[in-house]
Amino acid sequence: MSAPVSRAVLLQLARLGDLVQSLPVIAALKAGGIGSLDLVCPAPFAPLASLFSQIDRVLPWDGLKWRTWADLWKRAPDAVVDEVNAYIRTLTDEPYPVAYNLNQHPRAVLAAYLLADRVIGPGEGGPLRKDMPPWAAYLRRVAQDRSGNRVHLADAFCGLCRVRATGRAPHVPAREVRVPTDLEAVGQDDGVWVAVVVGAGDRDRCVPPEVWTTWITALLDSEERAKVVLVGGRAERERGYVIQDGVAPLLQGRVWDAVGRTDVRELAGLLSRCHWVIGADTGPLHLGAATGAKAMGWYFARARVHETGPYGEGHWVWQAEVPLMTDDRPCPARAHDRRSSARWPVKESVELLLTGSCRSLVDGWSLWRSRLDRLGAYFTVANGPSIPDRSREAIWERLCGAPCVQ
Amino acid sequence: MRTGTRDRMNPLDVNCALLRARWPSLAAEVREAGGGVLQIRPAKNGLPTALANGKWIHSQYDPVREASVWAEAQGAQVQAGELAVVLGIGLLYHVEALRKHMPRDWKVAAVVPSRQELHDAFGARPLGEWVTQVDWLYGSPDDIAARLSMARSPLRLLTYEPAAGLHDDFHRAIERSLRQRLAAQAGGRLHVAVVGPLYGGSLPIARYAMAALESLGHQVMWVDHSAHYGAYRVMDGLKEARHRALVQGKFVESLGLYTVSRLAEDPPDLVLALAQAPLELPILEHLNRKRFVTAMWFVENYRHLTYWRHLARGYQHWFVIQNGACREAFRQAGAQHVAYLPLAADPSVHRPLALTPEEKTEFGADVSFVGAGYVNRRRILPLLTKQSWTFKLWGNEWEGAEDLKPVLQRGGQRIETETCVKVFNGTHINLNLHSYTGEGLDPQADFVNPRTFELAACGTFQLTDHRALLPALFSENEIATFRNTEELLSQISTWLHEPEARAAMAQAARRRVLVEHTYRHRMETLLAAIGVSRPDRIGAILRGERQAGYLATHCSTDPELARWLREFPSGQRVELKEVAARIKSKGPTAVLTRDELLLLMLDEYRMETRDLF
Repeated sequence: MSAPVSRAVLLQLARLGDLVQSLPVIAALKAGGIGSLDLVCPAPFAPLASLFSQIDRVLPWDGLKWRTWADLWKRAPDAVVDEVNAYIRTLTDEPYPVAYNLNQHPRAVLAAYLLADRVIGPGEGGPLRKDMPPWAAYLRRVAQDRSGNRVHLADAFCGLCRVRATGRAPHVPAREVRVPTDLEAVGQDDGVWVAVVVGAGDRDRCVPPEVWTTWITALLDSEERAKVVLVGGRAERERGYVIQDGVAPLLQGRVWDAVGRTDVRELAGLLSRCHWVIGADTGPLHLGAATGAKAMGWYFARARVHETGPYGEGHWVWQAEVPLMTDDRPCPARAHDRRSSARWPVKESVELLLTGSCRSLVDGWSLWRSRLDRLGAYFTVANGPSIPDRSREAIWERLCGAPCVQ
Repeated sequence: MRTGTRDRMNPLDVNCALLRARWPSLAAEVREAGGGVLQIRPAKNGLPTALANGKWIHSQYDPVREASVWAEAQGAQVQAGELAVVLGIGLLYHVEALRKHMPRDWKVAAVVPSRQELHDAFGARPLGEWVTQVDWLYGSPDDIAARLSMARSPLRLLTYEPAAGLHDDFHRAIERSLRQRLAAQAGGRLHVAVVGPLYGGSLPIARYAMAALESLGHQVMWVDHSAHYGAYRVMDGLKEARHRALVQGKFVESLGLYTVSRLAEDPPDLVLALAQAPLELPILEHLNRKRFVTAMWFVENYRHLTYWRHLARGYQHWFVIQNGACREAFRQAGAQHVAYLPLAADPSVHRPLALTPEEKTEFGADVSFVGAGYVNRRRILPLLTKQSWTFKLWGNEWEGAEDLKPVLQRGGQRIETETCVKVFNGTHINLNLHSYTGEGLDPQADFVNPRTFELAACGTFQLTDHRALLPALFSENEIATFRNTEELLSQISTWLHEPEARAAMAQAARRRVLVEHTYRHRMETLLAAIGVSRPDRIGAILRGERQAGYLATHCSTDPELARWLREFPSGQRVELKEVAARIKSKGPTAVLTRDELLLLMLDEYRMETRDLF
């Protein structure tokens, strides 16, 4: 970045996890001297983004409206163009001098050009150009090769925007967010409050409900002051019921069911009341970590610890050594025994959660602990030295041909 | 008129007075008509409700609430700029609710099939000023259709079933006339995907439909599943029936996914499936979610093949070859739109032929029958052997029919179409006996098979078993029929001795096919029917409203966009896809205007249809 700009907009049109992982770049941009920074995000996430203290204004991007306009264009092209122009004006009267774009999708590139005079990030050469800036090309290559990248996605976002991570964990102040009345008790008494993320979208990314039941039972049996809050989307309510049903009646009084009952802002409020969040869905894990909980991820499908592990100090990730993409791939939890809790790090993760360490690992899984340094987040093997992988430094040097603001 | 005076008038007078301001002749006719169509009864909430033919036209409890629910659901379909046309009068609660539900500047019209019924409605209760805010359409079905087709707005037909059912024929006549008018006006070019079956009688019909659509100028994508039939048959070799069903079921599922993939690569305006197309309900639901318009031409006897019950709600438009009870059955199973669409012929395939002497020897006969060995045919056809005439039987699946062996040609091989045409042309009397799995003639003989149209298109004489739906398609001067085996034999004897009369009938039948019963006619009707019920999509394309010239002239508020559109040939259909391609062709270094960026963005969202799941 040649000189600090007074006003800029950051575009993050991807999923919840990506939005939360944009917090380090927001901090870095602000630290770089940007006066006013606005954020464009999918409309459903706007209430959450309004909690981001370093964002001046949140511009909700309404994909549903765009789809409707695309349908209507055939019937009344000029009316649609008028309406879209009016919509863009509600986002900003004046074009921003700079848009920082974090997504490679053409929609994000076009949105950046609709809102700003100049774009930094994917599409910065022009809205129709296929060539990408170095960090964008690097991220695409990593996604395609699934190679041994050690730069965290949140830090790569900084690279895209030509700034360096601040080396500090982000924080979303969500403690004051109101939650449904019957969930207000969450986090109010002593003991360990643990949010369990029951789903993860695709079936092959989900931990089987039976395994969660076993895990919850193990936790509640091991620590009598532990409490569990089940969290997830509306589509996962059935999964939440199945998990609860499996828990012994005597323990059920220590399980709160919040599945499908919170919007994303309320979810942040709920997670901020918990000490831990555990699950396979990276979005809620990132959100939990950002709101102050410790996160523990079970990464066994597409997610990889070094790229999308929870950002900050002291979070944990159990990484399956061979990814489970579908039921018939080799993996630590093969199709025929996926439901067997013996194949999952159940006991071990309960022990880790309650004691801060675990004596033994599970076959097929490795355990990683999150750390921070001046380059951002990195992960080291549990019980190993906290020395960062040196390849990160080399990547930053190679890709930051243009100056990156420290 | 002073309020006090109005209060003393009965509702009929008050309502007619309101109507008179804009529709004086209708007001006079309604007053004179007298009522009696509806029986007026008090509902539980005290408001008048009505019965007709023993059925309630409105709720017995709260007709206003019921009408409000109807109007909300129906009103949601109407889009800005459309004319909402209500079919079904009753006591007009639903029309009132719709008028109040819709913005004042949106237009609502109501079709009046019977002045008597409107007299009943006007006499039952005072209606209010909204009566003047509705266009009342009256006259013959053709008059009404003519007025509607002259309306500048796309039409949205909304049917209030309980009342519309009292005048079903009237409403159908309007729709038919509207379809014909739309078909005649149609100039736009659609992109239609035709999804065929793996095999069977609907496969050639799929091909005829495709050819007809192409001849009408539409762009057709043929999703041909016949290529997969060989693989499907290989699975017949599995001895365990359970395994066979499982594997073949999975195979059909895969073909559904293949179809979705083809559609996603090049999204059509309309997906037209033919009976037995391998599209199961989850696939159809997916297509609905992706906003595809889907239609099925079910060219089968709905009583014999009943899988349609599971698919009824999956297709948005059903076209069936049976009427009455068939359409009702489909509706009860959840089908939204069901229309009668009889079969037809392709005159480029089924045509008069001059046979060579050798062909006359091979294919010629006094009487011939071409078809498969269904039970009824096995019982009836032996009666034609050992007679004074020559009889030849063509076709397959005649195994075990020993008494027919002497007349069975080519050892019972399957006969391809071109040979069929030669047989038809070489035969004096072509027997057309509709298939039936029972012993005699089909006791529920309603639909007309493709053979009827094909024989007629060949300009050959046919003798067909009587079908309930035949008289509406061909007159008795065009096709001869029989109702039992005695009539069959006597008619053959008679017609064999009247070659000139046979020729005259055959020519008349061929003329009728060429004028009314080709697949081109059927596809025009099918598209127009969908166009009438989907005025914003298919209808608009058919009316040419997606063409560059039309769009450019309707871009009064955006000169830059108009300029853009004028770069395309005026008659070229222009969608976002074409506009986006034109913008992208400027090259990677182009600096784009705001409108160009907007158009590219809209195209990105349009392309969401392409996402598979």
